[in-house]
Amino acid sequence: MKFHFFHLMPYPDLPDDFRDRYHGVWVDLPASELFDPVVGHHAYNDYLDELEFADQAGFDGICVNEHHQNAYGLMPSPNLMVAALARRTSRAKLIVMGDSVALYNPPTRVAEETAMLDVLSGGRLVAGFPVGTPMDTTYCYGETPATLRDKYREGVELVLRAWQEPAPFAFNGRFTQLRYVNIWPRPLQKPHPPVWIPGGGSVETWDWCAQHNFLYAYLSYFGYLRGQKVMEGFWEAVARRGLEPNPYRAGFLQFVAVADSDAEAERLYARHALYFYNRCLHLYAGFANPPGYTSEATIRQGMEGQIKLAAERNKELQDLTWSQILERGYVVAGSPDSVVQQLTEMERTMRVGHLMTLLHFGDMPSETVMYNTSRFARDVMPRLRPLWDEWDDNWWPRDTLALSEQAQPAPLGGDRSAGDRSSPPRTPSPPEERREKIPPGARAARRRTRVQV
Amino acid sequence: MLTENALCLSGGRNQVVYRAGTGPALVYLHGLYGVSGDAPFIEALARCYAVTAPLAPGFAELAELDDLHDIHDLALRYDDLLDALELEQAVLVGHSFGAMIAAEIAAHTPGRISRLVLLSPLGLWSDAYPVADLWGVPPAELASLLYTDPAAAPAVGPITDVEAAVARVRGMTAVARFLWPIPDRGLSRRLRRVRAQTLVIHGEQDRFVPVQYAHDFVALMPSASAHILPGAGHMLPTEALESSLTAVDSFLSAKPVRTEVHV
Repeated sequence: MKFHFFHLMPYPDLPDDFRDRYHGVWVDLPASELFDPVVGHHAYNDYLDELEFADQAGFDGICVNEHHQNAYGLMPSPNLMVAALARRTSRAKLIVMGDSVALYNPPTRVAEETAMLDVLSGGRLVAGFPVGTPMDTTYCYGETPATLRDKYREGVELVLRAWQEPAPFAFNGRFTQLRYVNIWPRPLQKPHPPVWIPGGGSVETWDWCAQHNFLYAYLSYFGYLRGQKVMEGFWEAVARRGLEPNPYRAGFLQFVAVADSDAEAERLYARHALYFYNRCLHLYAGFANPPGYTSEATIRQGMEGQIKLAAERNKELQDLTWSQILERGYVVAGSPDSVVQQLTEMERTMRVGHLMTLLHFGDMPSETVMYNTSRFARDVMPRLRPLWDEWDDNWWPRDTLALSEQAQPAPLGGDRSAGDRSSPPRTPSPPEERREKIPPGARAARRRTRVQV
Repeated sequence: MLTENALCLSGGRNQVVYRAGTGPALVYLHGLYGVSGDAPFIEALARCYAVTAPLAPGFAELAELDDLHDIHDLALRYDDLLDALELEQAVLVGHSFGAMIAAEIAAHTPGRISRLVLLSPLGLWSDAYPVADLWGVPPAELASLLYTDPAAAPAVGPITDVEAAVARVRGMTAVARFLWPIPDRGLSRRLRRVRAQTLVIHGEQDRFVPVQYAHDFVALMPSASAHILPGAGHMLPTEALESSLTAVDSFLSAKPVRTEVHV
């Protein structure tokens, strides 16, 4: 199986009386009162460090996502984060979880930016396309709930065509009309980067993913005990289409906390988990359920959306304790043995080939994140790795350039490499005159040779 | 007693209408909670009028919204409905969301509407006194937004029966289809086209659509007047049934006033 490091990038400095002073963390939380850009500066840089650390530690993928107008996740643009990561990582696949296609006008913007990222990263991109939460899409971006899903699906269709069509084409959609679609650049991966669909448990999404062969990822904060019901629904949809129950069709998000013992896990992680559940998930019920966002079939099925669930449990989340968090499986915590045992049990029931781990919780400091990340990679990952070996992962980048073929960022010029940014870089000597064109990548190859010497 | 009929509009589309009473014809466009939400008021109107109350598209089935991409499609659908009802000219009475549609119909097809009554109409916007966000409050707080006396309100809050809940969401989905995120689809640019004599009835204590909007409607229409009901909130057909009815009656039974139509 594969392991990914997922970062939510929450705002880490919400006050202790946050819940009493504000009705929710999303949509109308006043940034002028609570957002300190210097705190934000350090948070972004810490978070990028942590994602880069996960690349070094051996995670298969590093994940970012998109949310708007909130202190729960500071990434209105996940693509900007991946652009920063593309230059500083080289092994991990870059999983955008993802671009909310209906919010881009026109959606070819998504085709363009993902193609840029795929080319820049040497074919390491996984393109996730969520519908987006009710808060992000309907309240922050003003999308009409009744048409949101139609607009989203039309947008995904446009992106897929924009990546692949051999010639410029016209697109006469209901929501987007373009006379000329002809994006530059095109993705490196052919026919296109893998498409992953993050879902919150809506019935139509299961069938849609199965039909289009998209990976379905259930992003839950309420643990695998609750996630089972959703994944059962997905596997039934796969079976209805007569498709193989390949575990790599599916992903699941899970908080994990690794330490030497249960007591140590509580000491290291408990208060940060509580920060997440008490503050980051403090959702106002008024913004949880816009009419038309959830389909009639989903309501009849009794599938509660993630957001609605969190909003309804607001009071319960306020009084949540660490032991309740563990009992309910919101966080898988403990010694490596205990974590391996819990995740094995989860895998047995849910069959997810892609485990997205949340190893940063709420306001956790970087050193703790890196400790957790390192312990997971060293003590847990290898023991679960062989699971599902008998299946091929067809939802994973295949055309990624080998490390030796990838361009490497040039060292900083002049004395800048020594950390002195006050003086300009030295002027290089003028290039020699050449008759032949320098092939792409030649400079990077020379640089590699030099580095090896 | 309302009787349900199915009409067939051009192109084979279905339309559910409810009928009651005898007398001069009157078409009633319901508010946020469908025909059933306004049933007592419709039955009261039926004492003097032959009332036809169509169910707004989407309330019976969301697929009805598929070919209604914007407010103009919606207004034309009602034009088709008046064809199906064989009404060359119609008296239109609407409440809330229904009043917005009524105003749109009168602006789109001005020759077809003879009298217009708008009860707490939506459709305009002012930054100075914004329409409250109906879908930005938890269900439990809806009643206090819509009614002056929430205790006297029929249940608009959470419901437990699955099919009833699905029907409620379906109706609200249809309403939100034309009101989200701001209930302004350009009516202010079209109201000058309305030729019908118009009465705007508004609750002075309306916390959802502030009473100033009644005056805005009057100012934008060639031949309109406002009747403000002191102490009333948004849900006039329910919480101010008798006083609304009296205002409607005296307006509709008055002789038409000749007004200059702006060309």
